[in-house]
Amino acid sequence: MSIMNQNTIIKLENVFVNLKSNIETIEVLKGINLNILANKSICIMGHSGAGKSTLAMTIAGLENITKGKIFYKDQPIHDLKEDDLADYRAKNVGIIFQSFNLLPSMTALENVNLPLEISGNFIDDRQSIKLLESVGLENRINHYPHELSGGEQQRVAIARSLISSPEIIIADEPTGNLDKKNSEAVIKLIFELQKNHNSTLILVTHDKSIANFCDEIITLDNGLIL
Amino acid sequence: MSGFKNIIFRKNLFLKLSVMELRGSFNEFKIVITSIFIGVFIITGVGSLSKNLQYEIDNKRSELLGGTYEFSTTYQEFPKEIKNWLEQNGKVSQIVEMRTMLSSKKNSLNKRRIVELKAVDKNWPLIGNLKVETENSGLISTNINEKINEIFVDEGLKNQLNISVGDIVKLGKIEAEVKGIIKQEPDRIFSFANFGSRVLMSSQTLKNTGLVIPGSLVKYKIKFIPNNKKLELSFLNKLIEGTNVSIKNIKNSTNNFNTFIERTTLFISLVGLITLLISGVGISNGVKGYLIKKIKNIAIIKSLGAKNNQVFKIYLLQMFSVFLIGIIPAVILGISTPFLFSPLIGETLFSSFQAKVFFEPIFISCSYGFIVCLLFTIIPLSKTYEIKPIHLIRVSRDKIHNEHSNKIKIFIIFLICCLCFLTVNLTSDIKLAFYIFISLFISLTILTLFTNFFFIIFKKIRFKIGSLLETIRRSIVDRNMFSKSIVISFSIGLSLLVTLNIIQESLDKKIYDTINQEAPDYFFIDIQPSQIEEINKIAINSIGSNNFNAQPMLRGRITKLNNVNVEKLKVDKDVQWVLKRDRAFTWSNVKPQNNKLITGQWWEPDYKGPLLVSIGNKIAKGLNVKIGDKIEFNILGRNFEATIHNTREIVWESMGINFIFVLSDSIIKNAPHTLIATSKNKNKVTSSEFVEKVVSEFSNISSISIEESYKTIKSLLKLLIIIINTIAFVTLFSGVIVLSTILDVSKKDKLYEVAIFKILGSKPKKIILLWFYEYMTIGLLSSLISILIGCLVSFILLNYLFNVEFYLNYLTLVILLLILPIFITIFSLFKMLKLIYSKPLNVLRSHY
Ligand SMILES: Nc1ncnc2c1ncn2[C@@H]1O[C@H](COP(=O)(O)OP(=O)(O)OP(=O)(O)O)[C@@H](O)[C@H]1O
Ligand SMILES: [Mg+2]
Repeated sequence: MSIMNQNTIIKLENVFVNLKSNIETIEVLKGINLNILANKSICIMGHSGAGKSTLAMTIAGLENITKGKIFYKDQPIHDLKEDDLADYRAKNVGIIFQSFNLLPSMTALENVNLPLEISGNFIDDRQSIKLLESVGLENRINHYPHELSGGEQQRVAIARSLISSPEIIIADEPTGNLDKKNSEAVIKLIFELQKNHNSTLILVTHDKSIANFCDEIITLDNGLIL
Repeated sequence: MSGFKNIIFRKNLFLKLSVMELRGSFNEFKIVITSIFIGVFIITGVGSLSKNLQYEIDNKRSELLGGTYEFSTTYQEFPKEIKNWLEQNGKVSQIVEMRTMLSSKKNSLNKRRIVELKAVDKNWPLIGNLKVETENSGLISTNINEKINEIFVDEGLKNQLNISVGDIVKLGKIEAEVKGIIKQEPDRIFSFANFGSRVLMSSQTLKNTGLVIPGSLVKYKIKFIPNNKKLELSFLNKLIEGTNVSIKNIKNSTNNFNTFIERTTLFISLVGLITLLISGVGISNGVKGYLIKKIKNIAIIKSLGAKNNQVFKIYLLQMFSVFLIGIIPAVILGISTPFLFSPLIGETLFSSFQAKVFFEPIFISCSYGFIVCLLFTIIPLSKTYEIKPIHLIRVSRDKIHNEHSNKIKIFIIFLICCLCFLTVNLTSDIKLAFYIFISLFISLTILTLFTNFFFIIFKKIRFKIGSLLETIRRSIVDRNMFSKSIVISFSIGLSLLVTLNIIQESLDKKIYDTINQEAPDYFFIDIQPSQIEEINKIAINSIGSNNFNAQPMLRGRITKLNNVNVEKLKVDKDVQWVLKRDRAFTWSNVKPQNNKLITGQWWEPDYKGPLLVSIGNKIAKGLNVKIGDKIEFNILGRNFEATIHNTREIVWESMGINFIFVLSDSIIKNAPHTLIATSKNKNKVTSSEFVEKVVSEFSNISSISIEESYKTIKSLLKLLIIIINTIAFVTLFSGVIVLSTILDVSKKDKLYEVAIFKILGSKPKKIILLWFYEYMTIGLLSSLISILIGCLVSFILLNYLFNVEFYLNYLTLVILLLILPIFITIFSLFKMLKLIYSKPLNVLRSHY
């Protein structure tokens, strides 16, 4: 029996996330139900502290949920062990962070290769170079992160998130640290690549104009979808 | 096929990632690498050297013994029939050895030294060559036998008395000319327990000195190479039966020197091992510091789908390459020690020392190195399991369940077992290995408990919100418990330092007290009974008769215990030395002053009956004898049987004259003997004048200054303390790695803090003050914990190991207490100072 319809790639059922702070436990997500369709783009909006990042990271398998269920296709991922979650990420999820998170000790090319190397699928540089070209960094291949501008670093991060051809791309405010010009370029790139790679995009943003590019928009408030 | 490829790529990944991560980080591991290097080098070096020496000894036994057999006897010449038989049945060389004073005529100050005389005949040496440096012909192989009233001396004596070839020195009745400096004495090695320097002469010269008189302590030796190569030891043993002659052959001769090498090796290896173990803390700190810097990278790698084990391996591999950088040069330098020392050894110990590479020490030191490194790396490395990729977004306070913790615990226990096994192997002493590990373990446990205790208190208590105390409390308790890491890392080094200092000062005080209150200033040996009255008179007129104390002495061997031959006896290892060689005896019908009776009574002052003996309590226990048991001695070739009448506690530390065996007054006192005496006086000048008078009047008497002897012991002790102190400092310094990395990592937060303070209108001065308090508190906390532990550990060690009173010098304690807070504060503030004057807006803009 399939609990999802054909194109659902991620399904959340009544998901709760509690976070412990120094003094108290905060309910950050309070019963999220969500269906994410394959090959579509979905935008998560909401004011600061609403739980957007938490929701995105839950889907990425980085945040433990307190209650509820999450399915990737038919597979439950809410009760996976840490190492299996790592496997799930390596195979299916590409993450783009607000603060790029490149390894400073590696060149752009090495950073892009990294996910392949981790999953043991690395063969040669061709694919990564192609990706770096497609994000417009053909002249920065052997540069280290500190030798790149913010926008360039984020483009390396985008290339890295796509290298294992994941079905899901999660981008948490990818333009939060960029200026207007760079932001537009990066967003354009993300959507373009999402189309080309036939992947599902989960985008967290504050920007209404960016949100409008997406197939679907949900708004979080106080841990619930409005 | 594809599986194979897969493996290569996986390996490749680890290597690649490790290399990339490590790029440019080697600098941070300087201290780690140095600590590993020192520990491994000491173990390899000492191991190689001792293996090599033992190998050489095995190859040169007969040269070192000076013949196939060595016969020796004390006080008396060899019985005629034994000497004759030996001369008829092989090559023979006779040697006479004794101790005396030599004075240089050159210096007006009339300098004297105690020397070891060795008079040889024309056949000496049977094996090897004597090499001497003379005035005009340089280094030559020569013979001393032809030369009358001429001597060869040691390099050491030459330097001590500042004499040179051609000088005239006084020896007993004669004045002799120094003809050369001894460069190589073929059968030297067995007399390493020498009191003084060697003086070599012909038998005729010795006769001329007039030093050999009845009762003087003279050793006669015959080196013997039999014509019949199949001659059995048992035959020779029969030959000497019933005499006080003893035999050494190449099989049992090297025992002494071998034990000496073994002991020394063990001791220095232990220093090496402890260096390694203590530097383990440095290693641990270094790794911890490195990993703190890499937390973000690890989170990134994990967010990209890396499994825990992959991360663990990537970083373990990096640490391994760091270890190799320490271990490989250490091993190379270690195995070249014998080569570096070979000229020195060739000159002093062996005529031709051949340096070689031995495998065993390499294996042992490498195993040690790797196991210690692994042990101290695994613990901080296992913390990588706790790093979650979600840290990239927020600080996580979730309780971390580490499913690998059990595996790691088992692995750590396994490593500790390996270490114990190796240590037992190295020391061949299970008890010692056990003590080392137990004490290290307990100290570390106490340290962690103490620190945790303080931090729990810090977490629990609350001060008034907004008050200074509360602000400090929060800044210490917060921030990933970094402060705890700082406290622990520094406390280990400092508590070691405190412990060492307290022990050192307690020992120093004990030695000082003993020297000043109980110990005599000088020892006199070889006093003839006929001279004692005269000396007593001199004493009455200068230092006072109470301060001069003489006792008769004779040397002899124990032959039987309760009618069983000592060769057949099994006794405690600790007391074997009592039975091995001849021992000194005295006799007296009054109990020695500083001795306490443990069992039995002292005999009557006018006792005249069968021979009784009083014996040291510990020795009696070791020999397994009690009151009423019988001991047979051979003194001057005659056997005496004595009954044990009581046991005494001997206080060796008092430095007075102590005899293990005190006999009752009997016919023995009529045998030719000498006296041994001590003198003391509060006035140093009076004391040395007395000595001067005695030795210049009686040329056969030798004096030894206690202060001089103590100087040697103390300088040895000092060297040891310096070595261990250095290690402690290295350990202390390794705390800096942690502090420094933590400061680096928290720099961003600090910067942010400063910026906000500034924007809110706070003056930099206030910020500095707050930080000052914060680091001062952290430093004081570390000092406090260290001093608590240092006092505790040193108290236990002093009471149960050294048997010395615990002595606390408050000045040192205060210095030790303050050194760390001041250092930490200055270091941290210095690192942070630059931040304070940065522009607030720039900081805020770049902070994310
Ligand atoms: N370590 C933590 N412990 C407790 N609560 C936390 C922790 N980290 C975040 N929170 C809380 O979780 C809530 C959701 O945080 P989240 O980062 O998901 O918000 P967000 O919607 O992404 O906000 P923003 O737009 O500012 O990024 C916030 O109220 C925050 O205070
Ligand atoms: Mg967010």
